[in-house]
Amino acid sequence: MKEKQTQPSAVSRRQFLKQAGFASVAVMAVSTVSSMFSAEASSPLSWLGAQEAEAAGRDVREVLRANFGDRTIQPSHVTLKTPIIAENGAVVPVTIDSDLPMEAANYVKKMYIFVDQNADPFIASVDLTPASGKALYALRIKMRKTSLVRAIVETNKGVLYGDTKTVKVTIGGCGG
Amino acid sequence: MPKHIGKIRIRVPKHIANGEVIPIKALITHPMETGLRKNKKTGKMIPAFYINDVSVYYGGELVTHADWTIAVSANPFMTCYVKADKSAPLKIVWKDIKGGVYEKTVQIQPE
Repeated sequence: MKEKQTQPSAVSRRQFLKQAGFASVAVMAVSTVSSMFSAEASSPLSWLGAQEAEAAGRDVREVLRANFGDRTIQPSHVTLKTPIIAENGAVVPVTIDSDLPMEAANYVKKMYIFVDQNADPFIASVDLTPASGKALYALRIKMRKTSLVRAIVETNKGVLYGDTKTVKVTIGGCGG
Repeated sequence: MPKHIGKIRIRVPKHIANGEVIPIKALITHPMETGLRKNKKTGKMIPAFYINDVSVYYGGELVTHADWTIAVSANPFMTCYVKADKSAPLKIVWKDIKGGVYEKTVQIQPE
């Protein structure tokens, strides 16, 4: 399994636009980048978030809003590992890995996986405890088609962090 | 109940240092039927049948709990971590939407 995502040399126009959007967002403040995660479009560059969300479909925005309201999701401390291309959308290995501590007073209490293009974007969630020792969870999931996959973690203090990856699916995994 | 459901394999490291944070890898056979597939012969929808609840206990205490949906792959394979700070049993319990309960216990023995 590929450990790290690198950008392919031949990219589709949508991929290029996403990359260009992401590159310019990266120059802005963290709060703006985090708007790409939040369901509410509230900051100056929010049109990028809206564009991405429109491509994904309204469902994922509603799902994120239902889970997190308009809370900021910081794009740090979490790495989502996925394959760049999944030959079989029925079995896509994903790993959520956070370097946040797992101590009695500070720990990751919950991790979430979402797939934008699935009929129901919510895939799974995991409740952790300090006894888990490490905020890492790996699972094999089904993806209906090429989609953004989102990993979001929540600390016991209610702070949210997230990471996303685009996984290209050549054969979809939910239907018959 | 169809066969080939609920066969479990749990893998923990062979040598565990006291207090080491170790990966737990667990596989269970289960169709994880989405309810969205059609039986091609009868034309009827195959009903949903999937594991939606997974709990990991260490020394009797709940360490990890997961909520799964139809979007978890068939024969689910998961990895989670546990801080191995005592010689104690590790038990994983899977529950599906039809009331099926599957569990297996392995001993964690730090050296």
